[in-house]
Amino acid sequence: MKLRDLQAGAKLPELSIDITAKLIVGGAIASRDYQDVHHDKAAAQALGSPDIFMNILTTNGLVGRYVTDWAGPGARLGAVNIRLGAPNFPGDCMTFSGEVSSVDRDSGEVVVTIAGRNSLGDHATGTVVVSLP
Amino acid sequence: MSDAADFSDSLGGDFGPFLAWDEVNAPMIRHWCEAMGDSNPIYTDAEAARAAGFDDIVAPPTMLMAWTMNGYGGQRPPGSGEGNALAVLTAMQEAGYPAVVAVNCEQEYERYLQVGDQVYYRASCEAISEQKTTALGTGFFVTELSTFYNQRDEVVGRQRFRVLQYRPAGQ
Repeated sequence: MKLRDLQAGAKLPELSIDITAKLIVGGAIASRDYQDVHHDKAAAQALGSPDIFMNILTTNGLVGRYVTDWAGPGARLGAVNIRLGAPNFPGDCMTFSGEVSSVDRDSGEVVVTIAGRNSLGDHATGTVVVSLP
Repeated sequence: MSDAADFSDSLGGDFGPFLAWDEVNAPMIRHWCEAMGDSNPIYTDAEAARAAGFDDIVAPPTMLMAWTMNGYGGQRPPGSGEGNALAVLTAMQEAGYPAVVAVNCEQEYERYLQVGDQVYYRASCEAISEQKTTALGTGFFVTELSTFYNQRDEVVGRQRFRVLQYRPAGQ
């Protein structure tokens, strides 16, 4: 993606991600997060959750991936700001959508507003700042 | 409840350094990218990274916190500082606000981490809100600011992590 091709209002292609126990556990281990609610269903249920749920670092990783999948390897992430909402449980599907909210042609900085929604509602909403060549 | 407890003396502080067990390395980056389904070549292919202006493979910026996690043993690496910038949450629990939920996570990145970099962070309690009543209950928003550095003590990035520590509605 090149800066000159972009305007505020441009939509990012949607990305749907199946939320599996494998993804939740794999993301937790890749982020070195061994809190039991991210791998142990009985422990999660003891705390009132119906199942294990995705950790925040995995959500961050998926948000970053969503934007750089679109922006390409020449893009640099400047910030990922998310508000956390409905948990990602196994068996659900999260769909990311995004829209360019501003383009600064001098600095190359682009602000993208994103939302990751699952069957329960908004899992994560927020903004990603990315610099494009 | 008439008078909300005042926790403002828990603001600030400077805790750390909290070190990383491992330097930034290609295997941990690859495992992360596998799990995230992230095929950006600058994270796994040195040539692609050089074409993008780096000297070597770089880590996904969103891995920032992963480098300094305690990991399986739950212990910080030797040489790490003591303490906890969010100790106020325990005081809030004891004062009748037993539940906690993460609300926001904001990360800003000053520079990309490259293989061989060594990360540490320092933490403070940046903000404690007035007592608020939300749909979940009544409590306080508490923000931890973690500032991440590399081996040259340059700022790599910052993370603001905000939680709501609360008494569930109806309790």
